[in-house]
Parts: sequence; C-alpha cells; structure tokens
Amino acid sequence: MSICQDLGLNFQQRMGANISQLERDIGSEQFPPNEHYFGLVNFGNTCYSNSVLQALYFCRPFREKVLEYKAKNKRTKETLLTCLADLFYSIATQKKKVGSIAPKKFIARLRKEKEEFDNYMQQDAHEFLNFLINHINEIILAERNQSTLKGQKTANSTTSNMSTSIGPGETVTCNGTLPQNTEPTWVHEIFQGTLTSETRCLNCETVSSKDEHFFDLQVDVGQNTSITHCLKCFSDTETLCNDNKFKCDHCSSYQEAQKRMRVKKLPLILALHLKRFKYMEQYNRHIKVSHRVVFPLELRLFNTAFPLQSDDAVNPDRLYDLVAVVVHCGSGPNRGHYISIVKSHGFWLLFDDDMVDKIDASAIEDFYGLTSDIQKSSETGYILFYQSRDASC
Amino acid sequence: MGTTMRKKTQVSFVIRDEEERRHKNGVSSLQLDPIQGRLYSAGRDGIIRVWNTATGVQDRYIQSMEHHTDWVNDIVLCCGGKNLISASSDTTVKVWNAPKGFCMSTLRTHKDYVRTLAYAKDKEQVASAGLDRAIFLWDVNTLTALTASNNTVTTSSLVGNKESIYSLAMNPPGTILVSGSTEKVLRVWDPRNCSRLMKLKGHADNVKALVVSQDGSQCVSGSSDGTIKLWSLSQQRCVSTIRVHSEAVWALLATENFTHIISGGRDRLVIITELRNPDNFMIVCEETAPILKLCFTADQQGVWVSTSESDIRCWKLPPRNSLSSDMYNQNNYNTNNVYQTQPLYHIPGGPAIKHYTVLNDKRHILTKDTANNVALYDVLKACKVEDLGEVDYDEEVKKRFKMVYVPNWFNVDLKTGMLTIHLGQDETDCLSAWVSAKEAGLTTENDQKVNFGALLLQALLEHWNHPNRVNESGMKVIGNNFFSVPLHTPLIFSEVGGRTLYRLQVGDAGGENEGNLLIETVPSWVVEVAIEMSAPNLNKLPFYLLPHSSCQSKQDRQKKDRLVANDFIQCRKVAEHVVEKIVGGGDASGASAGSGKGSANEDSGNDAPEERVELLCADQVLDPNMDLRTVRHFIWKSNVEFTLHYRVLKQ
Repeated sequence: MSICQDLGLNFQQRMGANISQLERDIGSEQFPPNEHYFGLVNFGNTCYSNSVLQALYFCRPFREKVLEYKAKNKRTKETLLTCLADLFYSIATQKKKVGSIAPKKFIARLRKEKEEFDNYMQQDAHEFLNFLINHINEIILAERNQSTLKGQKTANSTTSNMSTSIGPGETVTCNGTLPQNTEPTWVHEIFQGTLTSETRCLNCETVSSKDEHFFDLQVDVGQNTSITHCLKCFSDTETLCNDNKFKCDHCSSYQEAQKRMRVKKLPLILALHLKRFKYMEQYNRHIKVSHRVVFPLELRLFNTAFPLQSDDAVNPDRLYDLVAVVVHCGSGPNRGHYISIVKSHGFWLLFDDDMVDKIDASAIEDFYGLTSDIQKSSETGYILFYQSRDASC
Repeated sequence: MGTTMRKKTQVSFVIRDEEERRHKNGVSSLQLDPIQGRLYSAGRDGIIRVWNTATGVQDRYIQSMEHHTDWVNDIVLCCGGKNLISASSDTTVKVWNAPKGFCMSTLRTHKDYVRTLAYAKDKEQVASAGLDRAIFLWDVNTLTALTASNNTVTTSSLVGNKESIYSLAMNPPGTILVSGSTEKVLRVWDPRNCSRLMKLKGHADNVKALVVSQDGSQCVSGSSDGTIKLWSLSQQRCVSTIRVHSEAVWALLATENFTHIISGGRDRLVIITELRNPDNFMIVCEETAPILKLCFTADQQGVWVSTSESDIRCWKLPPRNSLSSDMYNQNNYNTNNVYQTQPLYHIPGGPAIKHYTVLNDKRHILTKDTANNVALYDVLKACKVEDLGEVDYDEEVKKRFKMVYVPNWFNVDLKTGMLTIHLGQDETDCLSAWVSAKEAGLTTENDQKVNFGALLLQALLEHWNHPNRVNESGMKVIGNNFFSVPLHTPLIFSEVGGRTLYRLQVGDAGGENEGNLLIETVPSWVVEVAIEMSAPNLNKLPFYLLPHSSCQSKQDRQKKDRLVANDFIQCRKVAEHVVEKIVGGGDASGASAGSGKGSANEDSGNDAPEERVELLCADQVLDPNMDLRTVRHFIWKSNVEFTLHYRVLKQ
C-alpha cells in the first residue's frame, strides 16, 4: 500500500510542476503537428488495457482505420469498437498537445463485454490484446453482414469465434483462425499473417501441409537470446513420437513425423507475444520468465538466411521497424504493472498510465530482461509491435 | 511386477478370411532360404508369408506365419533356415520355427515400434532396434531354447542413441554393428564388448538402410537425403557419396565381395552401382511403388523386390562387368531406359482397405480398397457381408443412409490393410449401444433389447472355459444365443493405444494355456459381461416434455416436465406416457397405472397412443417409431436442454 501512496504523491508533484515537462523535453519546434501524447487514467488495475491501447494508438495503420471507422459510423449502437473509436478520436482532437484522459466508457464497455475483465484484478495484457483484436474483427464482420442482409433476419452464425485455445504444452501457438470464404476486414489487413505447418511422416516421407492464420505470433523465450533467435526456434522442427505419433493418411497408421511451422505471409504489423509466463507444476502457478531477450529496432525477415519463411512465401523479404512495446513490470502475471513504450515521429515515449515521458532510444535496452535469475522482479518487453516498412504512413 | 500402474486393456479383433494367401499391404522385408528355395516376406498386414521360389510353380504360396498384431517391419532367417526372427510395430520381437511356421516365443523388451534387425551369421547373433532408441543383442540359440517355464533371457544393450533407430547392420562375424537414425549420423559399435567405436557424420537426413562388409572395414548407408555413402570404418571417414537416386534411399543390397551396391527407395527405381567407380551404374528396373527391401535370388543373378504395395517381383540383374561396357554405359540410361521391363517372377499381392465408413446403425462398415473394390462388413458378426465390386463408394454410402442414431461403441483401424476393430476402452464406451433385437434382425420377438458390445464380447469369448460360466440355476451359459463369430477371428488384448498383451484365435480360447492367459489378461468388466452375463447399464437420456404452443392452456405454460428415459425408447412410448399421465389426467385408471412403464397395451383407450397425441421436436412432427436418441441427434441437434412438445389430436 505504501508504494501506491508514494506513487500518488509522485503523481501530484508531476501534475503540479511538470505538466509541460514533456513538451519542454521534445521542444516546441520539434513537437509534431497533429500529434497528441495523452496518458490514460487507471481505473484500478486497468494498466493492462492502458498499455495495450497506447501501443495500438501508435500503430499508425490501426489508428487511422479506427478514426476512419469513427468518421463513417456516426450513429451506431455502442460496441467496444465505437468506444475505442471515441477514445482515439478524443485523443486525436484534444486542444492540448499533452495531458491525460480517462478511458471511462471504454473500460465500462469492456467489463460488460467480457466477464473475465469485469473486476479490479490485474489481467494479462496479451489476453486483452487478443480479445480486443478478435472482438473488433467480429464487430466489423457482423456489421458488414448486417448491411448485406438488410431487412433480413441476422443469423448468429455469421460471426465466428476467432481465438483458438492455447494448450499448455505447446511451444508454438497462434490464434486468429478465420473462415476462408469471408473477405478480409481491415483488422485482417493489418494484423493477419499466415503460418504453414508442414508434417513429414518418417515412414513414407510424404509431406502434408496446412495453413493457419494468426493475429500474433507467440514465441518461447530463452536466456540471453534475441527475438531473431526466438523466431528461428519458432520454426524449429519438432518430432512427433512416442505417445504423440502422427496419424499418417498414407500409411493408415501412427508413425513418427517431423513437424515445423513456417510463416507463409507476414502481416503489416507483426505482433510478437513473448511467452514470459510459464506454468510451473511444482509451484502450481505461473512464474514470470525474466530472461534477457534482445529486440532490435529493425527486424529483417529474409527468405533464405532466415528459415522462418516457407518457399512459397508471398512477401519473402520484409523490413520491420519496432513501433511499440508493452512492458510488464513486476514478478508475476497477477501482480505488477504494465507500461508501454512507443515510437512517434522518430522519438520514443514511455506511457505509464496517465504519465507520459520522452525517453532515449538507448533506454529501450532496460526492457530486454535480466541475465541472472536471482532477481524476481523485472521490467521486460512482453508484446512487441513491428510495423512493415512497406506500410504507408 | 504388479506394482506398476497398468494401463487400461483394450479388446480388438480382425475381420478377415480364415486363410489370407496374399499380402494385403506393403511388404517391409524379404529373406530367402536358398537351400529350401523358400522366400519369407514380412507384411505390413502383420503376416509373414512363405513362398516357393522354384521355377514353373503356379501357386507359390506355402503358408502364413501369424502372430503379430501390427506391421512386421523386418525379418532375419537364421540357424541355416531353421528359425526366423521378426520385428514388429506391435513392439515385440518374435522367434519362429521357420519350416513349420509357428511362433516359439515373444520378446517384449522394446517399448516402441521395432523397426530393424541385424544378423551376425557366424555367431548366430541378432540385434534389434527401433523407435525406443534401444539396441538389444540376442543370442539366437538361447532364444530358440526358451520354453514356457524357462522364459528369462538376458540381453546386452547398446546405449547412447539419442534418436529413433531406423536401420541396423552387422557383419557376419559380429565384430561390427552400425545403426542409422533420425540423428543423421551412423553410430558404430563393437557388439563383442558393447563398446562404442565411432560416430560418422555426413548425411543430411534419416539413415534408413545399411550394409557392412564381411571384414567390417567398410559400410554403405542409404539416407532419406537421397544419397548413398560408402564409409571406411578403419579410416572413420566417408569415402564417396553416390547420387543415383532422385529421392530417399530405403533399401540396400551389397554383392558378396562388396564390389557393387544395389539400391532402391522412394523413386521406385532399383539401381546397381559399382562401389569403387560410382559413375558405373545402371537402372535395373522401375517398380510401381517405393521400394522397401531387396534380396538376392539363390544364384545372385536376380533380385527380389518388395515395395509399399503388396506385390513382390523378381528382376534379372545385369552382368556385373556390363556396367562399364559401352552398351550399358550410364549415358544410355535414364528412367525411360531400364535394363528390365518385365520381371522374372511376380508374386501378386491383394488390395489393402484404404477407406471406411461406419454406417449409422453402428454395425455395418462400408470399405474401399486400393483396387477400388467396395465391400460391406458386419462388425457384430465379425464377417464380410458382401463384395460390391468397383462401384461408386460415396454413392453406396449415401444409399445406406438411415435416419437412426446409435452411440459409438468401437473404433476402426486400417493399419494392416484389413479391418481391425477396437472395442470401446471401458464399459461405458463399449457397452453404450442398446438396440432392438428385432430391428437388428436377431429375433422376431418384440421389445427385446440387446447390447451390441455385450453380444460381441460374448461371442468372442464363447469358447473360454471360465470357472464363473454358470448361471443361478447351475446351467452353463455359452455365447449369446443369437450368433457366433468365425473361429479363426484373431482376438487381441492390448494396452490402450499401445503394446499388445495377448493374441489368440477365437476358436483356441478353450485350451488350458489359453484359458490361463486369458484370466491374466481379460479386464474384469469384460468377464462380467461376457462370462457372468450381467446386463450392462442402460443409457439414460434426460428431456423436457411440454405442451405445444398451439394447444397450450395458461396453466400448462409453467409446466416443464423434466423426464428421464432409456435412450432407445421410441416416441410411441413417450406418447403413451402423455396419454396416461397428462392428457388422460381425468381418467382414473390411467392415472393409477403408476410406474408400470413398458407395461402391456392399455385397453382403456381404443386408439393407439400415437393417434391420440403427436410429438414434436423443434416444430417437426416425430415418427412414433423413432427413438429418443435419434430425435436428439438428427432433429434437436444438441446435447443440452433436449425438449419435446406434445399436441393432442383426439381427446
């Protein structure tokens, strides 16, 4: 409790004296026109939402689409998407350059939409992101269906649940499987990539492959590694053996097989979820893995030097820029704090609920993680947002 | 022994002919007895067959060696043709009396599929290895001396393999053993003291075939990377890489003096290559499927070839000196230009079942095999009903659609190319299918319900002399009173999804040994049903019964009766209930009928109940003959809140 009070005090001092410190740090000439840096007020452990919303706001293609949606849909019934659009619109149209804003309506709607978020407990930022992206996509699909079926009875089955459950033992997971026949929405256009899983039966050596869509890639973290390395591990070959053999159609029997996941189509914004919360059986709970994982400001995904992509990859060579990072601070999934760092007009900003600070690019290193396992608490990159340089913005 | 937790025991059986004279699936391995002129072939149908190779013989089939329950992956003939050792995906190694064709003993040391064997002729030593990464060395003379009472065998094991082993080779004196695995390296051992000698790197993929020279100084390996490598074991290095195949190499055969290598694999070609000059090679023949095994004829002038299809062919080999001659120079050879286009001999195989559909009655199965023949099988009676020939499979399936729902009680497995039926793993799974005996065509009596799983278990164990096989009146009850299954039906007990515990033929269960083994193996719930004839539990199905909106009175609206009935109850019975209990409420005799469910026909009403009341589900009027589980499955289409409505037609 004392920490909270300290924070409160700190907060008041800042409010009183340093309200325009950020503007001073940036410099009035450098301050980008038509850009606003607004903190988001915490409604009791809502930092999981605040951090993700800030990161998404600074994913420019996403922000633009949300604002476009706001402009096109003047009078619709309240959804989580309209609340998000109102929030983004409100930030984008502030008179002041900096300040803070209360995402009250959004949080209220969120708590209505999903039972799991209807409390004052700390939530997992990735679960929230996953829910938000899928839910927004469903809203768009439902609205599109409604407009085509105007006057007709709308069927429930037109929307589909897009999140796939994630098994505890899986090293590679993805979510965002969607029906093939529907036209992509702007959410798909921004976040959706395609994975191919290839399975080779070790008896007949026939290769079968299956495509899966994803909205984010979930990568295992290792100590003293880099995102590049983690992504390589992502496409490592896994052998299906022992009790987990592969039912080969060709052999009509269970055989050993080698399986690997490869990226077939990269998305415009590549969201990477670092699996930092590992379930430990001996403790019967999730433990934070604070391993140091370097994430570069530029990420190049090659076809040849980088075995992540399959041979028929649609866009085999893409350069990505880091645009936002959701950082988890603390020792476990249900304790601690979420903040985000974002890149805007060439400089980096740190959003900690209602506080916004300019930081040096070199300070990003502080969020790579810890090289020793002794310290329990850490401030570590948790969700990374990389934007393709092809993206127009 | 009894302390380890035992996995559930699964009961399975195979539907097949008494004599299966042809391989029904790919043939993994071949061995020739040159003295007797007998060819042994290891089938993926689980059967080892013996063939007469003498020229001019019409029917080459001699006999079948049956005891494995899964693919036979490898065989070696030893002791001058007296014994055969086999390795199988059922995780066992078996020792056979080769001339007589019976199984002498079963070795259960491996914990996963046994893929490969190696034989040191001079020492009568056999090595086995497979997906459990272990290599075991067996002294054949010890194995053949095993009896029921003296059944312990000591084995040496070669440890250190990190991944699944797909190939093994030993030289005849047994001084060198080489293993190939998904590790992509060759590991070399001295089997005399079980020491590791070396690890040879060079292949880029799984190593699936190996041969070692007589003196153990050289080794040839064939890999899924498509190459063949010649290794000098004395120099511990790869001497040459032979690239004659376009795909994985799965089978190798070296000439006696190690001058030539004959190879085959995924590209279906048999190629002979001069080892010291790999530019001299020749395509011997092109097979119709990927090649699994090569084996010399007695005069070494020909090669027997087995593939992932069931045919075995013998091809003439070119004279060794012709490889470098102008006429057969490799420049003249490509896949369109092979040495032989017609085999010397052909042992035809039969088709494997590739597709199946369990019909809605959960009793009949429609199958299609590799020759596109469609057939109908009766699981309950463990037999084939009808060969339909080359007809449209999907059309036949469609034609047999019946709107009837019976719970699942078995699974179908096509691994051997024949139908293996795995019964449900426990009493709830296996004994879930209750049906009307009359509709199943077992009796003309009305109202008798039978349980498919129980009937079949009773028939499968009909010949077992179990001490509890006595009913209350002291009478022996045998079988199920309706039918028997063929005596030759293989009956298999195994750990769920895994190792085989015991296999016997239905007709042999009466033997004393068999009886004792069955007592050890058969799960108690099976004994209760099949021997003690205890009736399996009935499946209860809960549902709500409401008046239909068209005839609802105000007071009815609150009424939502939750009822429970047997899942095979026909709608007629529910209508009866409505007439007796709800509609006929004023009728004193109807109300006092009490809980006499299924009681004799009511004589209070003149009309049948279905003419007085009709039942609806999801606004669809129900056929009085339809049972509740069928209504729920096809009309309600959900497992929750199953609701029926009734509408009174005549008061």
